[in-house]
Amino acid sequence: MVLGACGGASSNAGPAVVTFPISALGAEGEVLERQLSRFMAANPGIKVVQRITPDAADQKHQLYVQWLNAGASDPDILQLDVIWTPEFAAAGWILPLNQFGPDTAAFFPSTIVANQWQDSLYALPWFIDVGMLYWRTDLMASAPVTYAELTRESQRAQRARRLRYGYVWQGARYEGLVVNFLEYLGAHGGRILDRGQVVVNSAEGLRALSEMRDEIYRHGVVPSSVLTWHEEESRFAFQNGEAAFMRNWPYPVPLMQDSAESRVAGKFSVAPLPAGPGGRPTSAIGGAQLAINRRTEHPEAAWAVINYLTQPEQMRERARVVGQFPTRPGVYDDPELASGLAIPPATVRRIIEYAVPRPVTPVYTQLSEILQIHLHRALTRQAEPAAALGRAQAEMQRVLNRAGLGTGAPVARR
Amino acid sequence: MLPALLTILLVALFPLLWTLWESLHLHDLRMPWLGKPFIGLDNYVEAFSDPRFWGALGHTVFFAVTSVGLELVIGLWLALALNRAFRGRGLVRASVLVPWAIPTVVSALLWRFMFEGQYGIVNEALVGLGLLPEPVVWFIRPMAAWVPVILADVWKTTPFVALLLLAGLQNIDASLYEAARIDGASAWRQFRYVTLPLLKPAILVALIFRTLDAFRVFDLIYALTGGGPGTATEPIALYTFNVLLQNLEFGYGSALSVIVFLITFGLALLYIRFLGAELTGAQR
Repeated sequence: MVLGACGGASSNAGPAVVTFPISALGAEGEVLERQLSRFMAANPGIKVVQRITPDAADQKHQLYVQWLNAGASDPDILQLDVIWTPEFAAAGWILPLNQFGPDTAAFFPSTIVANQWQDSLYALPWFIDVGMLYWRTDLMASAPVTYAELTRESQRAQRARRLRYGYVWQGARYEGLVVNFLEYLGAHGGRILDRGQVVVNSAEGLRALSEMRDEIYRHGVVPSSVLTWHEEESRFAFQNGEAAFMRNWPYPVPLMQDSAESRVAGKFSVAPLPAGPGGRPTSAIGGAQLAINRRTEHPEAAWAVINYLTQPEQMRERARVVGQFPTRPGVYDDPELASGLAIPPATVRRIIEYAVPRPVTPVYTQLSEILQIHLHRALTRQAEPAAALGRAQAEMQRVLNRAGLGTGAPVARR
Repeated sequence: MLPALLTILLVALFPLLWTLWESLHLHDLRMPWLGKPFIGLDNYVEAFSDPRFWGALGHTVFFAVTSVGLELVIGLWLALALNRAFRGRGLVRASVLVPWAIPTVVSALLWRFMFEGQYGIVNEALVGLGLLPEPVVWFIRPMAAWVPVILADVWKTTPFVALLLLAGLQNIDASLYEAARIDGASAWRQFRYVTLPLLKPAILVALIFRTLDAFRVFDLIYALTGGGPGTATEPIALYTFNVLLQNLEFGYGSALSVIVFLITFGLALLYIRFLGAELTGAQR
């Protein structure tokens, strides 16, 4: 047997089989199916086998960690949540993609930053989700651009139109809370992490957290029940016409345009999230990335699949059929895109340009869990915002230092 | 004999020893670059200086004492009622068991649904009856969040306690009550000096089962409050689960598991001593 040296030409053993775990159902699954068969028709040397995985992010993550930790060469391609890329990269579980010469300049810069670790690219952004402000076109002429304006508009709508809620977001103790906080934080000019240093306990952090708390307890525009809400609870409230504003991902747009289900069909629009003093509108990035298992036996074939799936043509098709936002700004200039997206492409592009990744660090999940707890304590008034941020920062820094990623003196363990 | 012993050893002891061994290492699946060094008792030292661990332990004790206490009192009352002869007693006895038969996660979700939101059934009812001036968001207040948790547990497991105690009641010789009555003992004195002492073994059995269960409470709180708000209702089993399976910190999580094991094992030993003494005392 001649191995490897000639660069992965395994033509003597039939097509290279590349496995791709996927949880896409319905229309999304069908689009992928079509795209993969087109790919295989054009590349007879490669066969892509799909493998069904759980849809829930936590379960998928757990499964991936088990596979990769055990050194399995299969699956070859991985679909990653944006916050997993640095974790898997630092663990040595996925291949750096620079060797394949990806055209990083063609993607939104923030989506590339989110997928880099130590100056190498480890995953290619497939589609992007961003946080946006939903507002009611029947209650006001334009979307508010600051939180002060949003509060005023909310109070006015609550009084004049007897709306139950002004503004709704996601405040349960889960990843979504950190996402919402990150957006308030950016709007006030703050950050969570600066390289190896946790910097959330800052004047900006305090202003952001106090703004969230005041909206609930002082201005009465956000119901305190948001502190138990995820995406769907806020969607129900907004969709039932009970709220003037909502922060959410793009997925509710087509659902709420269906007048059989929604009371706000034709009465809402989306805009960038508001800014606070000293900051700019900020949207958190979500969405899916594609990466290659470091143990794969067919790196070239896996790259060919990823490269194909992230081409403009495939992105356009996904946008048209399932409404997912392309990660290439160039695609937005295409007039054809407007027919597929429920929102004008120019608006989407403007929101994506305000998008920032969550802290890009291999220990993101651990940092997020700590932050979730302390934010939730502050928002449920078990702790004062300053004290909560102080404790969060100290605990997060300890995790960073323990991982050897902190800029402080390395601490043995916690 | 030997194969049986070996099986027990393998099934019971091996995982325990493995956990013990893990707990002496720094083993963080999410930080593979740290390796898996032996760190002695560091994980235990860390647990004892971890405020979230102490908080979780406190919540577990609070939950166990409150819920088991209520279950015992209500269960005893229920058992006494069911011990009387009345028409349809069989049917009532069987129907009492319904909450016990419902899977914990299902009943947790039921209770969650009733307490959820400002416009949930419980809020509507309490405000309607004038017991609350305005709706309460139960799950964002540290003390209020315990109400559905404890109610759900009491609702679910009181029938079990009641049946255990009922079995105990039926073992008491009816002639003892007759004798007491002839001596002019009031209903309260009969209860105090005949029923309670003779029911002690049954009460202890119920206590053992319920406290050990309450100490390991997981699914109920996982589904009801998720340990929130913040970590205000997080019991030790849920914290251990988070460390082990969410954060994949095997070393530290194993240390927490060992601590939980030691506590429950200690409790069981304590009860068995008591119960043993009680049983020999009864024989005398």
